[in-house]
Amino acid sequence: MPIINFIIYLLTMIGIYSLLAMSLNFQVGFTGLINFGQVAFFCIGAYTSSLLVVNAGVPVVVAFLAAMALSGIFGYIMSIPTKSLKSDYWAIATLASGEIVRLVALNEAWLTAGPFGVMGIPQILKDLIPKDAYPVFYLLFVIACIIMVYIFLSMLTNSPFGRNLKAIRDEEELCLSLGKDTQQLKLQAMIVAGTVGGLAGSLFAFYIQFISPENFKPIETFLMWAMIIVGGRGNFKGAIIGAVVIQLFNVSTRFLGNYVPLGSDSMAALRMMIIGVLIILFLLYRPEGLIKEKKKIYD
Amino acid sequence: MLTIKNLEKRFGSLKALDDVSVEVEDDCIVGLIGPNGSGKTTLFNVVSGFYEKDGGEIFFKGARIDGLPPNKIAKKGLCRTFQVSKAPEKMTVLENMLLAAEHQIGEDPFSALFMRSRVQKSEKTNLERALELLDMLQLSQLKNDYAGDLSGGQKKLLSLGRVFMLKPDMILLDEPTAGVNPTLRVQLMEAIRQLQKMERKAFFIIEHSMKVISSICDKVYVLNFGQKIAEGTPEEIQQNEQVLEAYLSGA
Repeated sequence: MPIINFIIYLLTMIGIYSLLAMSLNFQVGFTGLINFGQVAFFCIGAYTSSLLVVNAGVPVVVAFLAAMALSGIFGYIMSIPTKSLKSDYWAIATLASGEIVRLVALNEAWLTAGPFGVMGIPQILKDLIPKDAYPVFYLLFVIACIIMVYIFLSMLTNSPFGRNLKAIRDEEELCLSLGKDTQQLKLQAMIVAGTVGGLAGSLFAFYIQFISPENFKPIETFLMWAMIIVGGRGNFKGAIIGAVVIQLFNVSTRFLGNYVPLGSDSMAALRMMIIGVLIILFLLYRPEGLIKEKKKIYD
Repeated sequence: MLTIKNLEKRFGSLKALDDVSVEVEDDCIVGLIGPNGSGKTTLFNVVSGFYEKDGGEIFFKGARIDGLPPNKIAKKGLCRTFQVSKAPEKMTVLENMLLAAEHQIGEDPFSALFMRSRVQKSEKTNLERALELLDMLQLSQLKNDYAGDLSGGQKKLLSLGRVFMLKPDMILLDEPTAGVNPTLRVQLMEAIRQLQKMERKAFFIIEHSMKVISSICDKVYVLNFGQKIAEGTPEEIQQNEQVLEAYLSGA
């Protein structure tokens, strides 16, 4: 039985990270916005929904929607400096935004309980689902969310809006010369991405039932980047496959640690080294990732 | 249509544009020539809002446009192409054409999601126009190729196609025929002529080929070292001592 539980846990985590990778891919792969602070959306989503439920007793549905809205608003805030910063400088600014969000969570203890984290996050629909079936139920819930987000984002990227985003990614000046308000488009893209990131954060919080600033270190953003580099940018299938590959490796090696004669610290470091090497190999030998961006054909 | 008054642009101590005044009347084709580095592209960059001016005024259809961002100027109906063509690498030729289409529905997330039938309708109309234009520009064969894979000349043609999709009132063309083969060049010029006659659009064209200039332009301005040294009909310009000297000494 434990092995089945572990597999369900692994799949659920893959699912949650797929959402984060899809959101990041929407920014990087479609709009060319190099966001190194993706974890901020995850963090805001997790904290908003869990605090609203634990401290304020708000219904879970409302808490999820509020979390998505707040992450979306944070996406809007993050997009403001794109007006004056070139993409590489903006990327550095996003790295800072990710850390700022985590540090606020760590230090504003009156709201977030600081380093102790938010405890006692209830399970959704706990009374209606038999205890044994709960992990499977939650996995199905996450999968349903992935399907909805996949459809939602694909509808956007296949629309004139998505075409504008791709054009910003490839030639921003051309967009301007064709009368596109690129600033506005980037802002909208960041709101969309933030909303999806907030959903992932909420799903994570209500799955793990305990969150602390430890969950939202910059390394998480690094993992999400590894996912879209390995999986491929400019398509959402790639983001999901990347999440599968990276999470499979990342989560399963945590448990393999028991069978390898290395301390857990060295194991953790070694794991990141291997992911780093994987990224380098992909960038050198398969820069487009496992799944290439699909050409859009009109007929 | 376009009035440029005493325009100035400096890069450090270099006066890239020095007191340049230009007038482009409604439905006519005006040429802009001058040796390399004389300020032609700078003039375009200032007029289209990509550079900030250091002095002077620009009026388009009677309203001041200097100081506006490029996208606002384009929206007002003044559109430009670039000397080094910009072609979104991972977008097909057709996608490029549709990108430029005017009055699109579905350019923001909300309408993209909730007005899908209207979006599809406008896409269909734009697609038809795009295919027509590609036919005229002899790019039909390449419609599903990535714009990044086109040759330099083909990218020039694509920029023209995009501008035509946008249907602006006035078009600034920065060396539209550089790198285009001679037969097609003649056809292009013919297309520009036709468009100007049929849809009464104004053109302002930077061009090096005197042949092209004299075959289609109603009026020509000549820049040298950021200053306007001559203006007149193509015949007048070809006789102008100063112009000949600028071109010969520049070479």
